[in-house]
Amino acid sequence: MPSDTSTVTLNGVVGSPRRRRRRASLTPYLYIAPFFLVFGVFGLFPLLYTAFISLWDWNPIGDKTFIGFQNYTELFADPRFWNAAGNTLSIWAISTIPQLIAAIVMAAVLNNALLRAKTAFRMAVLVPNITSVVAIGVIFTQLFGRDYGMINWLLQSVGLDRIDWQAGRLSSQIAVSMMVMWRWTGYNALIYLAAMQSIPSSLYEAAAIDGANKVRQFLSVTIPQLRPTIIFTAIISTIGGLQVFAEPLLFGGQGGTTGGASRQFQTLALFLYEQGFRNFKFGYGSAIAWALFVIIAIATVVNLKLSSRIASE
Amino acid sequence: MSTGRKKLARAAAIFAAVALTLTACSSGGDKASAPASSAGGKLPTGQTLSVWTFGATGLEDSMNKWAADTGNKVEFKKSEFDPHHEQLLTALASGAVPDVAVVETSYSSLFKQSAQYFTDLRDFGADSIKSDYLDWRWAQGVADDGRVFGLPTDVGGLAMAYRTDLFTAAGLPTDAPSVEKLWSSWEDFLKVGEEYKAKTGKSFLDSTGVLFQTLYNQSDPKLYSADGKSLVYDTNPQIKHAFEIAARGSSISAKLGAFSPEWNTAMAKGDYAVQLAPAWMLNYIQGQAPETSGKWSVANLPVGGGNWGGSQLTIPKASKNAALAFDMISKVLSPANQLAVFKATGNFPSTPSLYTDPALTDYKSKFFSDAPVGIIYSESAKKLKPVYEGPKERQMMREFGNALGRIDTGDETAAQAWDSALAAVKLEIG
Repeated sequence: MPSDTSTVTLNGVVGSPRRRRRRASLTPYLYIAPFFLVFGVFGLFPLLYTAFISLWDWNPIGDKTFIGFQNYTELFADPRFWNAAGNTLSIWAISTIPQLIAAIVMAAVLNNALLRAKTAFRMAVLVPNITSVVAIGVIFTQLFGRDYGMINWLLQSVGLDRIDWQAGRLSSQIAVSMMVMWRWTGYNALIYLAAMQSIPSSLYEAAAIDGANKVRQFLSVTIPQLRPTIIFTAIISTIGGLQVFAEPLLFGGQGGTTGGASRQFQTLALFLYEQGFRNFKFGYGSAIAWALFVIIAIATVVNLKLSSRIASE
Repeated sequence: MSTGRKKLARAAAIFAAVALTLTACSSGGDKASAPASSAGGKLPTGQTLSVWTFGATGLEDSMNKWAADTGNKVEFKKSEFDPHHEQLLTALASGAVPDVAVVETSYSSLFKQSAQYFTDLRDFGADSIKSDYLDWRWAQGVADDGRVFGLPTDVGGLAMAYRTDLFTAAGLPTDAPSVEKLWSSWEDFLKVGEEYKAKTGKSFLDSTGVLFQTLYNQSDPKLYSADGKSLVYDTNPQIKHAFEIAARGSSISAKLGAFSPEWNTAMAKGDYAVQLAPAWMLNYIQGQAPETSGKWSVANLPVGGGNWGGSQLTIPKASKNAALAFDMISKVLSPANQLAVFKATGNFPSTPSLYTDPALTDYKSKFFSDAPVGIIYSESAKKLKPVYEGPKERQMMREFGNALGRIDTGDETAAQAWDSALAAVKLEIG
């Protein structure tokens, strides 16, 4: 009886040696099963199903026609795709590189022995990260508003020209990047801080004896010691940065799905959303999703190669 | 029995009990809807109807009143315009649907293709109330096979609202007949706007896109041919004219995105003088700029009528309470109730019997300086003709809107923007 077997396994009643062996070989799989089940349902299945849909002209409440790789050939000939890919990369560069530099500096400040109220500051830098991304998007969009925005008001009050932040390619991407940076700098700073605290103080003492000042110590001891952590944050930021979605969507307001009138800040994730969910081309949207997946995979490998080369130097 | 076994047994018992209850629930639900589907049967009470809207129908109060009268409850989920329709479409595919969903006219052709996902309202006797409504508004809720999947809400007959205080400041007349004499064409309208801007330094209009929408809604045909079989967006001279007028209007517009927070602010602050206004816009103005009460008036457009907006109330097929939902939507959309909704919100009835009813034609709005909005919008609605709108209407309009946005930012000239708009539409529907 199958129920008998399960009882034996669950209750630990000693059975025949053969059964015991089977139980022993089954147990480790049971331990790791929850991950694979969850991953299978929420990770692998959607991934494969998306690949399946991407081969169809798929109307969720209408006709579904198999069209092979046509979505992909259309995609690679679509200027909007390359525009979105370019925007994604530039928003990633504008947001991630300054962000990681700022995070290291912030971590160094938080790690300073002279700093008072350490815990309060450490908690404070994480607050942007636990704030709802929608709230961030709405508030930053108002700050960057053309007519009634606070940033333009400040610019004007110091005698500079107002900027139509949304209109320009660079200005809109800077505004979007500011939201990303605001949200993630503190988070990365805490990761760097943890890594800094595990650097043995003897290294700093030796450097001090050799006559290195604080800046020199930071550059020659802290940064090299942080290398593995920098690689980790760079990869995580790359994966996140290539999927930027809510910030440009909210920044664009009513025209958010196209990322502005000229698609000047439409990211790949946003292009996917526009095609899949606004224009109801689920097949095309799925093809974009797979293209994005491949781009992220390539970016991660390149990142890993570059970073480990830096680390081994 | 070991404690372990006992626990297991108890867990199994609980699981079985839960499973039974769940099946009991769902079959109970089925039973509740089965007898009700024959019209005239006794309707259930104590039910909760879920209603998805994008917030423009002005019917929420009527629905709540209906619920209180019948001993039921209504739960609203309000989303923004496009996300609302997108959620409805995915909900129809998954089956997790509301009992009542609003479908706006620019989306109605899209959902019409999948009318089998909606309850055929003829099952509840919708045919008997067909004559209450404007024919073409009714037709927007009828699929090709005759299935009635939605009842018409309001019509968005077109007119314009203007700020009398700003007109006075600019030396323009303020009473509607004199204002209407200022222009007899859209070109004249632009000229007055240009003079206004030169004199005051302020914007005349809110948005280039709204100007385009208005003229687009005066076109017949629009982007599709009258029979809906071919696309005419690139050859229709009326669309090209609409685009050119809007492109010229960019210089006198505040270049705001309609329904954006900045637009709301500008409306309340009086940063522009004219708001092109389908009937439902009056409701919006009163909601967004309550402190401007008495500073507005309403006049007819320079030329012609036209319709912008209006919705159908639909009942998705998977709704468990279709009979009850039909009772609600047919009551809140009855001529008598549409009159009440008009008086409360400004949303204009889709039931022509009211257009000659003094209760409507004599109605003046305090907020709009006692403008005879009843007569203005009923005259506008009487002129309306059915114009075909296709399944891809909305996404094509988005590209025209983006092209006008590029004129607003100075990225493109009017001619460049027209070409790029056609290219973008072609790519989109390709």
